[in-house]
Amino acid sequence: MERIAPSTPEQMAEALAAFAAAGKTIHVGGAFSKLRQGGGHAPAAVTVSTSALTRVLQYEPKDLTVSVESGLPWATFTRLLAANGQMVPLDPPFASQATVGGAVVSNLCGPRRRWFGSARDLVIGMQYATLEGKRVQSGGMVVKNVAGLDTGKLLIGSLGTLAVVLSINFKLAPAPPCTRTFLFHFTALPAAIQKRNSILQEVLQPWSIDLLNPHASGRIDEEGWVLAVQAGGSQRLVERYELELAGTRVLADEAEQRFWERIREFIPEFLREKPDGYVVRISTPIEALGDAAASAPVPFLARAGNGVAYALFTDADGAANWLKSAAGRGWRGVIEFAGADGAGPDEAWPNPGPELEVMRKVKQLYDSRNLLNRGRLYGRI
Amino acid sequence: MVPAAAREELERLLGARNYLDRAEDLVLYEYDGGVDKHRPEMVVFPRSTEDVVAIVKITGKHGVPIVGRGAGTGLSGGAIPRAGGITVSFSRMNQILEIDLANERAVVQPGVVNLDITLAVQGDKYFYAPDPSSQRACTIGGNVSENAGGPHTLAYGVTTNHVLGLELVLMDGTVVNTGGMAQDVPGYDLTGLFTGSEGTMAFVTKVIVRLMRQPESVKTLLAIYDAASDCGQTVAEITARAITPVAVEMLDGVMLRMVEEATHAGFPMDAEAVLLIELEGLIEQVEEQVEQIRDVCAACNAREFRVAKSAEERDLLWKGRKNAFGAVGRVSPFYYVQDGVVPRTQIAPTLEFIRGVSAKYGLSISNIFHAGDGNLHPIILFDARKPGDTDRAKAAGDEILNFCISVGGSITGEHGVGMEKMELMGNLFSSDSLDMIQGFKNLFDPECRLNPGKVLPTGRGCMEIRQRPDFVL
Repeated sequence: MERIAPSTPEQMAEALAAFAAAGKTIHVGGAFSKLRQGGGHAPAAVTVSTSALTRVLQYEPKDLTVSVESGLPWATFTRLLAANGQMVPLDPPFASQATVGGAVVSNLCGPRRRWFGSARDLVIGMQYATLEGKRVQSGGMVVKNVAGLDTGKLLIGSLGTLAVVLSINFKLAPAPPCTRTFLFHFTALPAAIQKRNSILQEVLQPWSIDLLNPHASGRIDEEGWVLAVQAGGSQRLVERYELELAGTRVLADEAEQRFWERIREFIPEFLREKPDGYVVRISTPIEALGDAAASAPVPFLARAGNGVAYALFTDADGAANWLKSAAGRGWRGVIEFAGADGAGPDEAWPNPGPELEVMRKVKQLYDSRNLLNRGRLYGRI
Repeated sequence: MVPAAAREELERLLGARNYLDRAEDLVLYEYDGGVDKHRPEMVVFPRSTEDVVAIVKITGKHGVPIVGRGAGTGLSGGAIPRAGGITVSFSRMNQILEIDLANERAVVQPGVVNLDITLAVQGDKYFYAPDPSSQRACTIGGNVSENAGGPHTLAYGVTTNHVLGLELVLMDGTVVNTGGMAQDVPGYDLTGLFTGSEGTMAFVTKVIVRLMRQPESVKTLLAIYDAASDCGQTVAEITARAITPVAVEMLDGVMLRMVEEATHAGFPMDAEAVLLIELEGLIEQVEEQVEQIRDVCAACNAREFRVAKSAEERDLLWKGRKNAFGAVGRVSPFYYVQDGVVPRTQIAPTLEFIRGVSAKYGLSISNIFHAGDGNLHPIILFDARKPGDTDRAKAAGDEILNFCISVGGSITGEHGVGMEKMELMGNLFSSDSLDMIQGFKNLFDPECRLNPGKVLPTGRGCMEIRQRPDFVL
């Protein structure tokens, strides 16, 4: 199978146009660290990687913005920002292997989304190459910009089914001098949910509110139901959080970093351990998250301040059945990562809703012959 | 032209009280907050999504152009029916349908006034973050169409960051719901695509917005300068010291004198520039940042630094800021508001350039802007009754926006492209990028009936077919 990694945006656009003109199916990715995500992918005639697009295009720390090519390793990217006391607080899983483009296109974000939002909130511009060989710009290098259509939003979470991201512009946040993490351990779920509710209703502005059920907390050497809350800011601000959130345990420095590292790598670690494992992602209203947690018979990790949760299954049927029952309760969800046997569209994305037709029209506009990452987006597109 | 048959069908659908077609009524719908004008041939007032679907179908059958309108406060001509046809006013779809504090959401109809959402939830200590200056009048439907901003978007983001789902009526009459009460619903982010599409791809008939918890503490600061450059330096230094205010607004001398005369908010009459800075968060954080900013202002030669002592004083300062355009209206019969954006480090050179433009065209230009995020609002004062003045104002505006592009900025931060800046789109975007926008327009509005002649430069899209020669600036 042909495999290429163009080193300039122009070459990438030309290569895509040539493959498309020849009617070749294309498997596109960055570091290909998330091959089991989104329904996997059908075999393709060519593989195209963004891994040679690694330039930092523009970085003026005083502007609080940065523009980098999509193949830049996420780890390199965050080190660069940290050296200037700045951050893009997305916390994607697979961070040690992933590229910037892959992190955005897979739209898997981590704990700090409670305060900072997800990729859709942090990306201010994007350039991508289409199968027609066009290089399309959406947004720009300023934090407020409504010129033109925000088509970059479509690429976030598209899993490479629409176009190939060439470069991404982010707005940056200053990294604060101090952070603290407060762990609350509970023997039963209702107390954990009550604690979460009281934090949400108070004036505190924590970065992260993650919930783990006992199956999940056991995987990171904790016990019982665990609510993990992180805050950041000045020393004085963090002291205020210490007063307000006297939890079971307070984490700082290395212990704190290690804890969140394990949370970020919670799913990758499971998938490495269980090549046949399935990860279901569901979205619920914040209030319904407790019911979702109660119904999960397996390790369950939730962004409890957002209503996005992951459940880890060792078998396809278990995952499909739980997702089906979640869908029956009106929650939205997918089998985000599938095991070796994959998952059919009906199992992987049981209730897509009528907007799927509009999504298919969008796919048609970009890729009418379904050449790019065929099978991705849960086999529905 | 709207054929008689279409009028009759619409009258039957809506009843006599839900449309306007007399010239003296229509004249009220020929303008918005910008400078462009064109009169619709009929204005209809749907009361439900079903009404909107029926309007789309009836007008579709007769090939009549349609344009959505909220409160008409837009500043780029987004609601101007430049090809004639029918204006669809959402002013009677103005209900807050659901407030769900536990889930931090509200579901509203498009005609709900922005500020009314906050007023409905502030008793419970929540608020809706995007706060355009027109928030007492502008509607959520218009905010979604234009992806509206406001002073506090520096910290909280613009409309698209606070909209979780939409109900849309497409041009074939289909009703589609995007997003939802939950985040990260699978598939493409259609909500993000349609937010900011300037009413050119679908009608918005319902919006799910995010509500935020009110902060514990708010402090409003006023820093006063004898030199505008010191003011610009303060903004850069605030960023450099990693201080994170929720709003940093700058008013230059010309502007603040107009504002003070109109509102008596307490702005100094003799200063060259002021910064209006707001801090929000936990008490400790706000107190600390007040002192940090006091230091920055002193280091940057501020001649005076005030902290608003009461909610009344704070409200007065913001009233002055948010009513600035009204204040300009007292001084100049006509004004032209720009909405360029530049990287934060380019604010000072841009202000210098604007001064040059003012001198070159002999037009007074005052500046009021969201300095924290580089979103400038130069206001060009002119008199349309003087021959050539309007053209000079337009040319001066274009020159400023082209400068914004040249330093890596954008032609619009929050007002939208509309019909005002569409010709500049070719300077900002490559032909490939404009093709993509055009592709989406054709996909969702193949007959080009919905708000024709916006966003894309003439020669793209359908203006050649639809545009009538008599539209006026």
